[in-house]
Amino acid sequence: MTIFEGLTSGFLQSISLEVLPYLSIGAIFGLVVGIIPGLSGHFAMAMAVTFLYTMEPASGIAFLMGAHATVAQGGGLTAILFSTPGTGQNAATLLDGPPMRDRGEAGVAVGAAMASCFLGATFGALVLAALIPVLREVVLFFGPPEVVMMAFLALTFVAVLGKEDLIRSLIAALCGLLLAMIGLDNVTNTDRFTMGLLSLSDGLSLVPVILGLFAVAEMFDLWGTGGSLARGVTKPLSAAETQRQIFRGVGLAFKNWWLVMRCSAIGTAIGIVPGLGSAAASFIAYGHAKQTSKNKETFGKGNVEGVIGPESANDAVEGGAVASTIAFGIPGSSSMAILLSGLFIVGLETGPRMLNQHLDIVFVIIFTIIIGNLIGTLVGMFLVNPMSRATAMRAEVIVPVLMAVILTGAYATDRAMFDIGVAIVFGIVGYLMKVLNYSRAALLIGFVLGFAVEKNLYLALLLDGPFFFTQPIPAALGLFTLAFLLFNILSIIRDRRRA
Amino acid sequence: MRRTFLKGVVAALAAAPLITAAGLARAQDAASFYKDNVIKWIIPYNPGGGYDEYSRAIAPYLEKYTGARVDVVNLPGAGGMKGANEIFDAPADGLTVGIINGSAMVTNQLSEIEGVRYKIGEYGYLGRMVADLRVLVVSSQSPYKTFEDLMAADRDVIVGATGLGGSTYVDAVITGPALGVGQKVVHGFDNSSDVRQAMLRGDVEAMWGSLGSALQGVQDGEHVIVVQSDRVRSPLALDVPSIFEYAEKMPNAAEIAPIMAAWDALNAVGRPVAVPPGVPEDRLAFLQDAFAKAMADPDFVKMMTDAGRELSYVDGPTMRNIARASTELTDDVRAKLVAAIRGEI
Repeated sequence: MTIFEGLTSGFLQSISLEVLPYLSIGAIFGLVVGIIPGLSGHFAMAMAVTFLYTMEPASGIAFLMGAHATVAQGGGLTAILFSTPGTGQNAATLLDGPPMRDRGEAGVAVGAAMASCFLGATFGALVLAALIPVLREVVLFFGPPEVVMMAFLALTFVAVLGKEDLIRSLIAALCGLLLAMIGLDNVTNTDRFTMGLLSLSDGLSLVPVILGLFAVAEMFDLWGTGGSLARGVTKPLSAAETQRQIFRGVGLAFKNWWLVMRCSAIGTAIGIVPGLGSAAASFIAYGHAKQTSKNKETFGKGNVEGVIGPESANDAVEGGAVASTIAFGIPGSSSMAILLSGLFIVGLETGPRMLNQHLDIVFVIIFTIIIGNLIGTLVGMFLVNPMSRATAMRAEVIVPVLMAVILTGAYATDRAMFDIGVAIVFGIVGYLMKVLNYSRAALLIGFVLGFAVEKNLYLALLLDGPFFFTQPIPAALGLFTLAFLLFNILSIIRDRRRA
Repeated sequence: MRRTFLKGVVAALAAAPLITAAGLARAQDAASFYKDNVIKWIIPYNPGGGYDEYSRAIAPYLEKYTGARVDVVNLPGAGGMKGANEIFDAPADGLTVGIINGSAMVTNQLSEIEGVRYKIGEYGYLGRMVADLRVLVVSSQSPYKTFEDLMAADRDVIVGATGLGGSTYVDAVITGPALGVGQKVVHGFDNSSDVRQAMLRGDVEAMWGSLGSALQGVQDGEHVIVVQSDRVRSPLALDVPSIFEYAEKMPNAAEIAPIMAAWDALNAVGRPVAVPPGVPEDRLAFLQDAFAKAMADPDFVKMMTDAGRELSYVDGPTMRNIARASTELTDDVRAKLVAAIRGEI
């Protein structure tokens, strides 16, 4: 099957009556799962996969991928409207989304987020399509040395996140790295920092930590200050005004097309690298958006670029993440493991045979990502209005309701009561960090990248010796990291002199 | 002395109502007990992956033959141990069953790692779904083609593995030294897919894995299978020698036989379906019977065969013997096995 035949057949299947209804149901289901805090794409796929046994290959895969593709969109909606990340990958959206809502521009933020998601997903899917001839080579490009250096490069973005207070951001990032060390060490099989608790032997789960740091902390803050969730907004926006704002937001995403492209490229690249994940991608994209913006000082205070950056990256991850699953049957995340199971269930094999004989299915996946996100965007827009009414409710009413939802979300991921405790503890930590002006984003980046850094550093040292970083690609990445750091330090010094 | 006496009294007191309860339970027909009841089926891992696939595939057939609804629940944690503990601690009413990673749970129990609350020999067993046939694969990019090549290699072969105690690791550190293969085991990969990716990149040269997942890579020309774990060659890989064929020819064959036998017993545990200890006999017998029928259901067998999934059913009582045998080792063999699992070799 040539690429062109695969593309045509894949497209015709995706819009056929046998597939499109399943794709749409999957996409809407994914959107709803994304909106509910704590439930992730992994959950949506796990629910969807049980229906696959009786389905045709194309419909089944479209249903499964559809449910995964739109989760980040739904999560962005919750992040902006309720200061609660719907999924881990939306945590970066919290930095600028809620401040926009507080200014009465919730519609603009949501419109921009939704459109960025769609554009990012499309970008990622197109890159995946373009890479098909060299997919295997691209996936094998990243070995332990490359991943270590990539992770270090990502960590330096911390410097940008908290440029106002570099030292505090670095403290937070290093604390994040330490938090990642908790649990059973995969190399020596020794417990670290578990205090004898079996629940800690797998380490802290990402979802309760994120929910605690951002959502629970926000609830504490709101409870303390009182008023409505959207500060300074006393009356909910009218339906007509919301609509106008959404269109303005969509327009802004298209106007910032160059930023969308760059952040999507970051997202896709991180998707291909195993083990970095979409939460890291969105923070790195946020750092990049801030670094390159003309209005750096308004970031964190409701700059729409701070919404567009992470939201385009977290959906662009999709295209990259699918690559290793299709090319080798090697899943890079738990969601992709479910996709792999799904492909087996409908009787498809991955690897060269899929790339040669079932190229149409690869294109069904690609078109599902694009069409699913389009559906998600359209449906999401209709959800904004009813949901945004809740944001004008008084704290006494909304805080208990949201707390219940958030803590249920923390529990739902692994069905562990322990995770509710984790969310509350990190809620206190997050609140203190907010009050004392430490970057929670930096802590989270350290935490997310900690796993990847440690594992790959160990393997790189074992496989390539102590000088693994002198190989061409890692060396290039290392030099780039140094240059980036140097540039930032110099600009800080320059700013100080000027002040 | 006094404590034992007290314990005896308490046990006698506790047993009295239990005996009556057991009598009642026997009176109540097991089939009518399960009719329209709910069975909770625990998977000790996340969705996606073999345990999840096997469980979700059999669940509808178990519903068909028990008349109960089967709720499949993923309970990941501590490398499958959380789920295994949960099954062991569940009420012994026959309404909680689960699939466990038998070999890994045996190695955990033997090496007495923290958090083991179950005893592999005390579970009740519905039977076994599958025991993975283990194979050693060697990358096509490496200079080696056969197991003889590995044994004769003049430098250490780089073997990739997941964590200490994981199957990929245990297989390598037990068979390698026993058969005189010079090897450097690089462990710390997340899972076997992760090791496979490293092998494709050329970072590692060989790895242990299941036959099921190795076959596709053979077709794709990624790697060759050089040896298999079963004493009798599998019909799926008749041209691949068994590792025991080599073990018998070793000059120290008698010396390595016990540890190889222990490893063989470990592999035989496979993926059993377990219930907590003390489930009333009639209910266990009913479940065992339903499980046997489900595993033999032509639709189920066809579905699994079509998806390329192996099945190697054994019945409940046999499974119980296999599980017990795997932990009943001589001190010498146990010490060797534990050292291997803990990474002290």
